[in-house]
Amino acid sequence: MIALTGNANLYGQDQRLGIDLARRWSLSQSPQRPLRLQLEDGGSDEATAIAGFNLLINQGALALIGPTLSQQAFAADPIAQRRGVPVVAPSNTAKGIPQIGHFISRVSAQSSVIAPLSIAEALRRDPAIQRVAVIYAQDDAYSTAETLIFQKALTTRGLPPVTVQRVQLADNDFQIPITAALQLQPQLVVISVQAVAGGNLIRQLRELGYRGQIVVGNGLNTPNIYPICQRWCDGILIAQAYSPELDTPINRTFQHLYQGVRPGQPPSQIAAQAFAAYQVVFEAVQRLQRRGGLAGVSLGEARESLMAELLGGQYDTPLGPIHFTPDGEVVQGRFYVAQVRMDPGGRSGRFALIRNATAPAASPPDR
Amino acid sequence: MIETLLQTLLNGAASGGVYALVALGYTLVFSVLGVINFALGALFSLGGYLTYLLMGGAISANGGLPGWGLPFGLPFPLALLLAAALTGLASLGVERLAFTPLRRRNAEPLLVLITSLGAGLVLVNLLQMLMGAEGYAFPATALAGLPDAVVLGGARIRSVQVLLLAVCAAAVIALTLWLERSRSGRALKAVAEDATTARLLGINSDAMLRLAFLLSGALAGLGGGLIGVSISLPGPYVGIGYGLKGLAVLVLGGLGSVPGAIAGGLLMGLAEALVPGEASGWRDALAFAILFAVLLLRPTGLLGRRLVEKV
Repeated sequence: MIALTGNANLYGQDQRLGIDLARRWSLSQSPQRPLRLQLEDGGSDEATAIAGFNLLINQGALALIGPTLSQQAFAADPIAQRRGVPVVAPSNTAKGIPQIGHFISRVSAQSSVIAPLSIAEALRRDPAIQRVAVIYAQDDAYSTAETLIFQKALTTRGLPPVTVQRVQLADNDFQIPITAALQLQPQLVVISVQAVAGGNLIRQLRELGYRGQIVVGNGLNTPNIYPICQRWCDGILIAQAYSPELDTPINRTFQHLYQGVRPGQPPSQIAAQAFAAYQVVFEAVQRLQRRGGLAGVSLGEARESLMAELLGGQYDTPLGPIHFTPDGEVVQGRFYVAQVRMDPGGRSGRFALIRNATAPAASPPDR
Repeated sequence: MIETLLQTLLNGAASGGVYALVALGYTLVFSVLGVINFALGALFSLGGYLTYLLMGGAISANGGLPGWGLPFGLPFPLALLLAAALTGLASLGVERLAFTPLRRRNAEPLLVLITSLGAGLVLVNLLQMLMGAEGYAFPATALAGLPDAVVLGGARIRSVQVLLLAVCAAAVIALTLWLERSRSGRALKAVAEDATTARLLGINSDAMLRLAFLLSGALAGLGGGLIGVSISLPGPYVGIGYGLKGLAVLVLGGLGSVPGAIAGGLLMGLAEALVPGEASGWRDALAFAILFAVLLLRPTGLLGRRLVEKV
């Protein structure tokens, strides 16, 4: 269940593609025993996500992939937990998602692991930075969780923000918070909002004359922001959990499939994570089926067995090798920092990997 | 200090101009019909999408007709005006489908209000089916030739905001002059004052009502196009938020009052701009608290007149 409508549809488009590619890959792996995939629109709000989870659970889903937003996960995941249905989140990065319950897991690494890398890169590029402004969406679980991590990373480096501007998820006109922030002459602006608002925010920030570095959070980790912020996107720094340059067989396969649909474009992190989420469920089901673990058991027992199998497995995904902690948190090997490079026309661009910022994963996050 | 004050005033005026435009749209219909057209927010969205398409924009991969676009692209000013005119026509369609049948049956105003809300939701959903749910950005060349921002007395404002403010001001002045000076404008005011007497004086009140819907839709369309070029179109629901804010401005200024809609829009914009940056997330709460306070002190709004029940 992913966001096919609403603002989060910018992520949902990539997720739909990632899941579709994973399904094609899985059919090549096991043509006799395909998973039956049902795609449900989770919208971009909590109510639609809850309705979608209820519908899929009542229809007998063995496992759920989704929802798209952390804000939705906090509302919908408890339902899956109560009903005993395994959930694999492809893009929820807020603190506390796997802690909702033992049926909840994610392949999207928590912000606390990834976000500080882009701050480190910005400071490496300009060690003289003294004044940092922070902007975040105060009514969004992901944004509020991520900004705390950004702010902690800044404070740890002796750079407490000179201003923290709070906006709202539905805002699109940022003249007021931007001019308030720019009056304090920041040298670095750190942004945690969702994609549409983020694209607009960056554009307006640049239009209002800000020329310093911009670090953005995971919400902008989709090429779908390019048409919104256009040439103004150029140069923003972002930490990523996926690199198109990772040279492994599964990533090459993923890239090959991706190129078949979107020629000339490197895959996005969101699509890669959605692929990984489907792959995890598929491989766990395959292992169970090989052992006869799903034969003659009730749906509830099958869901319980699948969750145990899912958490116990090792997966070689386009994200790299991953596995899970016992409570469903992903453990991933490497993370990256990229810089957006826009094409001259300003309508398309790419996340250009900054090699020397590649960093090994931190230990599993604190609980 | 003066710079900060000027910045605040400019920020407030830029947002307030659009609110005033939407509120004027509500005012025109309310003054003639005595009901609020809840479809106005959806017409605002429609205006934005029409401007985008008329500029040569294509429908995204998730839309009903992926990749489709007009075979030509108009310059932004022309696209904006044409989109406003087409939105005005769509508003006439809303009047014909959602208002006229109930008016002919002398239905309760509440029922008309609900049908307008329904018409708005249908329109937004049609937009979503056709255009998809994702955001659309106007090409960066839409305002080619203009600098990204201008500095006025030390305060910095995006050029598109200046344009937005100028167009809103021009639209408001033109509408006010038309209402005050032209024969048809005065006829519309007469119908708003007393439809029965106006009819006895030979004014075609049905035609005036249609004119009110046409202008109201055109104003909403103009607002949608301007917002689209300023902040892009984040989705088909973009107009709903502006519609709600315009509604608040309508009440704040005084139901049916044209100067009230303008004053209310600017006051609402300024109230938002005055919220300190660190508390900007509470902007809407403060703006609506001001609305609440004004209504406590002046239940008829800033410039509204007390309605006298005729017996």
